Amino acid sequence: MQPAAFHIAAARAAFLWAATAGGPAYAQAWVYTLDPDHSFVHFEVQHFGTSTTRGRFGPVRGVVVLDRAAGRGELSLRIPTATVDTGIPVFNARLRQADLLASDEHPEAFFVATRFRFEGPRLAEVRGEFTWRGIGQALSLHATHFACRAVEGGEVCGGDFEGEVLRSDFGATFGLPLVGDRVRLKVQVEGRR
Amino acid sequence: MKHTLIAASLALLALGSAQAQTVSYGIDPTHTFANFEIGHMGTSTLRGRFDKKEGTVQLDRTARTGSVDITIDVGSINTGVEPFNKHLLSEDFFNAAKFPTARFVSSKFNFSGDKLTDVTGSLTLLGKTLPVTLKATQFNCYMNPMFKREVCGGDFETTLQRSQWGMGWGLNMGAPDTVRLLVQVEAIKQ
Repeated sequence: MQPAAFHIAAARAAFLWAATAGGPAYAQAWVYTLDPDHSFVHFEVQHFGTSTTRGRFGPVRGVVVLDRAAGRGELSLRIPTATVDTGIPVFNARLRQADLLASDEHPEAFFVATRFRFEGPRLAEVRGEFTWRGIGQALSLHATHFACRAVEGGEVCGGDFEGEVLRSDFGATFGLPLVGDRVRLKVQVEGRR
Repeated sequence: MKHTLIAASLALLALGSAQAQTVSYGIDPTHTFANFEIGHMGTSTLRGRFDKKEGTVQLDRTARTGSVDITIDVGSINTGVEPFNKHLLSEDFFNAAKFPTARFVSSKFNFSGDKLTDVTGSLTLLGKTLPVTLKATQFNCYMNPMFKREVCGGDFETTLQRSQWGMGWGLNMGAPDTVRLLVQVEAIKQ
């Protein structure tokens, strides 16, 4: 599916889900649109077993549906891979190449999750599928922070989410094992309704 | 007795060589970053880093001593959000026009065995110098195949109260004082 179509389909699904959620279990389902100033995917990779190389993608775009009363939710996020920023322009350019991020062929990575686990009112974990370089794999992100706050005319919910992937699972093997296989993801998201 | 003398001589020789093993390293700017984290409205964590920096490290792994002097170009702050960068560089926070650099200096490296455990030094920010201890969460030396030289480095962490340096904007509106620093350092043998 093309990225634009993916986004529209995901947004429509989210909207329909919220709009048609007439039963009492879904009475409080809301659609949150990610705030581009506070929605980034940070990553960490081991460099020569010595230090941690970090970088960032974003802003991440997408929508999240939350029904805190029913303890349910779903999300669809798009991560523009060419936005990779490590602070080193030549390193960013190298990362975008075909054997790593493959940003020309796969300009976006996706995370779609429909399994939300709440602990009381607090979102604790989201499980779904992460697609990168056209390869989909299961991914679980656990929330290290989650909160909602009222803002003028609406509400903002967001938090910090962490998980990890093995880049070799997605075919990005360049530099192994000197540059680590395990990529730790630290995701900041805030969405507004 | 003879053996004791030999042992003592060897020990002295070892000591002599230990004193001669202070090695200078220049930081690798592509693997040296000061990253920071601060809470946003009780909801999520804002992250940023400084992209330009320079510095040197002296390390004697035998004598387990060292020193470091790193200067950060405050204007190279990078959060991914340009209006936020601008606000951080304004008088409300870093006041970069008046204080264009931050500097960390230490000559107290603490080791446990061969591993560097923490570095006690001072951080100058907004023209004010205060003690800071960076705790090592990782430390290692390796032969870098590209530079064909030894590289030593690691990860270091600390937590600061920004108000101590006079950076108090937003505290009265509930913005956090606590800033977590996550520092990556790799330095190349000169």
